Amino acid sequence: MRHTYLYYFLVLIGLVSLSSCEEEEYAIPTLKQELQNDVIKRTIGPNLVGMNIEFAYAMALPKSMGKLVSAEVEATVAGGEATYLENRSFYTNGSGEDVGIEVGSKSVNSGGRTTVTFTKDTSAATLRYFYRIPTTARGKEVSFKFSAQASNGQSVTYSMGPYKIAEMDMVLDLDVTDSTKAYISIEDMAVYNLADAAANASKIDLVYLYRTIPNITFSHGLVSPSAKTYLPGVNLPAGATRSSRVQKVWNLRDFHLARLQYGVYIDDLDFQKLDIASAPDYAINLRSEAGVWVETQDGKYRAYVYINSVNNNTKSAKISIKRYMMK
Amino acid sequence: MLKNIKWIAAMMLTVSMLVSCKEDFPVDEDGLLITGRSQCYVSNFELLGPDFQTVRVENPVIDTTAQTINVKVFYGTDLKNLYPQFSLVTDAKLDPKITGKEDFSDLSKPKQYTVVSGNRKVRKTYTVNLTVQTP
Repeated sequence: MRHTYLYYFLVLIGLVSLSSCEEEEYAIPTLKQELQNDVIKRTIGPNLVGMNIEFAYAMALPKSMGKLVSAEVEATVAGGEATYLENRSFYTNGSGEDVGIEVGSKSVNSGGRTTVTFTKDTSAATLRYFYRIPTTARGKEVSFKFSAQASNGQSVTYSMGPYKIAEMDMVLDLDVTDSTKAYISIEDMAVYNLADAAANASKIDLVYLYRTIPNITFSHGLVSPSAKTYLPGVNLPAGATRSSRVQKVWNLRDFHLARLQYGVYIDDLDFQKLDIASAPDYAINLRSEAGVWVETQDGKYRAYVYINSVNNNTKSAKISIKRYMMK
Repeated sequence: MLKNIKWIAAMMLTVSMLVSCKEDFPVDEDGLLITGRSQCYVSNFELLGPDFQTVRVENPVIDTTAQTINVKVFYGTDLKNLYPQFSLVTDAKLDPKITGKEDFSDLSKPKQYTVVSGNRKVRKTYTVNLTVQTP
């Protein structure tokens, strides 16, 4: 009995060792004899109206089979005027710079279609596509259909998407200066001087100011017109009485607003989930690269105001705003 | 007979292993180990604003005899939304627990927190007194 077990065991060991010796050999993949294509999306983060969605569209066929004739991208929502398909194919030189070589005529936009016709004898190209998000696409989904034609009559298509276009608005690099251009309206996404602020008094949500007061740290502030305590020596236009909720934030350097190396994005969802019901109506002692969440008094808008830079000598700052309209 | 002895031995071994795994360490209602330490004090205190940056102007003054923590905060600090952080002596815990933002806005009624020692027998209540910078 014992010997039988031993026998089976040995056979098993033998089988295992035999099977493990089999090695799969690498074979060079054979070239497909047809026109092929591929797409990658190059932009990340939420898709904002007025910004680009960038793709790289690659197409190729064996040289013996012919050359490329045209490339086309069709968007379900026609892009803005600045939408284009690159007519150059890029390579990276020894210094790491992208060098473009023209392979076709400048792209033509017609409705949602953007077309490049090849003028050079080429059988492989990677063209970049820049879709400028139009206002009409706000809150909608956009899909893309990439297609290429070859001289042998073959054609290929590649679908991308759908991509959700964000509801929010953005405005970059507004200059604010203490006591002159200091009145910020989230509703208009603009900065007013005193004269213009008087005309739009009911829309003023925040006032920018810079103060150096002995014994306390005040420096740069974004204060609602209602928080009079924190507006020393500020001329408020009559009728500016809004009380916005303001919450200080640090370390939230949105990529769109800050344009720094941090891959952090504020999306619609962040505004929807924001809860600053207990926040005060002022924020002082702000620094460069800080920001504030803002909710307007009527609850219609929520915004993130990012401080790109501050200047204590000129008592000024540069701000960028992302704003979301609540339904 | 020999077979039976083998079985009994195996059973006994199993039972003894099971029993030996259950050792009685005393834990409190939070599942924290109750130890022999009776020290009971706050070693450091920090106060963070809603942006998780400190709102202290200077180091906190912790008086372990009077059981007070005196903190001076910046002018314009949002006192309704503050995150207090206590550093306690080894094995001690805080009661009530701090789970998020705390409201310090009523300066006339300073907030109180009780430190409970490692052996859970000594309780000391600390009062957090806030003063705001004034121009």
